[in-house]
Amino acid sequence: MRPAGASFLRALSAALFLIACALPGDYDIEDVAPTSHLGEPCEHDHGHGELQEAGHEHHDDAERQESTQTGMHVHEAGQRNHGTEWFFNQPWASPFIWPKMLRDSLVLAALAAVIALVSRRLTRRA
Amino acid sequence: MRTIRAFADMTMKMLLRRRTIYGISIVILLALLGISRVPSFDVGNEGRFILDFGMFGLEIGALLLAIGLAANLYPRDRESRVLLPLLAVPLSRAHYLLGRFAGAALVQMASLVAGCLGLVAVLAINGYAVPPALIPAALLLVVEGWFLLSVVFFFGFWTSPPLNAPLTVLLFIISQMSVREFVSLLPAASGAMKVIRLLLPHMDAFHIKDPIAHGETVPLLYFAVAAFYGLCYTAFILTVGLAVFRSRDLR
Repeated sequence: MRPAGASFLRALSAALFLIACALPGDYDIEDVAPTSHLGEPCEHDHGHGELQEAGHEHHDDAERQESTQTGMHVHEAGQRNHGTEWFFNQPWASPFIWPKMLRDSLVLAALAAVIALVSRRLTRRA
Repeated sequence: MRTIRAFADMTMKMLLRRRTIYGISIVILLALLGISRVPSFDVGNEGRFILDFGMFGLEIGALLLAIGLAANLYPRDRESRVLLPLLAVPLSRAHYLLGRFAGAALVQMASLVAGCLGLVAVLAINGYAVPPALIPAALLLVVEGWFLLSVVFFFGFWTSPPLNAPLTVLLFIISQMSVREFVSLLPAASGAMKVIRLLLPHMDAFHIKDPIAHGETVPLLYFAVAAFYGLCYTAFILTVGLAVFRSRDLR
């Protein structure tokens, strides 16, 4: 490897470290989503004793009784609930994550420009 | 720019003369035909299954195309001693990389568009409606394919072709994971895992098959944001690849 290559690799490592510091770990949608996106949590026994989210629909007492007996319950179609949160926690359904995508894109574009210029300069110097 | 265009044209012609592109395209189309024969088990809206599996097949096709088209380009140029004369006079290293990438990207795009048209034909033949969002979703798949292509080029400059494919597949898999899932692979080194994950792309940004298959509306703005993200990541990986290529002593 040429000497310029070694110094370039050092510059590259520094740039990658800077990216890691620049982009905070705020991308997981379930971690950064506002309450309005997640829905209000409610305590509801789904047979596995966890805190679950709103959106359940118990139509009547008979159905509730049947649901309890079989361990099943009914949710309104197309709504966010404990079974569909993976679906609504995708980037297309989370507009609050889009500015972060734009921010990352701009950081990457700027870094690409810097790396291209630095590597060109180092190559010419060598 | 004219140099890059001419070299991209040469690359495209070279790739079209190989059998790889036809083999992978035929596999994609056969998979789509097979998907259309998957029984619905009396579940309503069978078209949903065809769309879901079909778009997943196209995504895997983009990965196979990236590896099949680009993993051998640089090593073959180097072994056949074509690279040094090329770089000696007509091309700079940046021209070489951009020309090769542009040629391979165009061939990959043509194959993915053919696959998407195949999916549309399968839906139409089976009597299902073709969702209008399929066209922007296919364009997003093309951007994802270009990103994977840039990853293959990047690995190509410092690994052998047999190692390039598994590394690209590994990156494809781990880039689908959320930060939390990735860190949970090695909780003892959570800090290092977090840093590594932050350097990797969030490929779930390209996942658009679920809302389309379930009839959810995806705003056009999202397609634009995700495509911009993919293109910026592609540019970043290509630049890092170029920097590695520039640091290589080819003698």
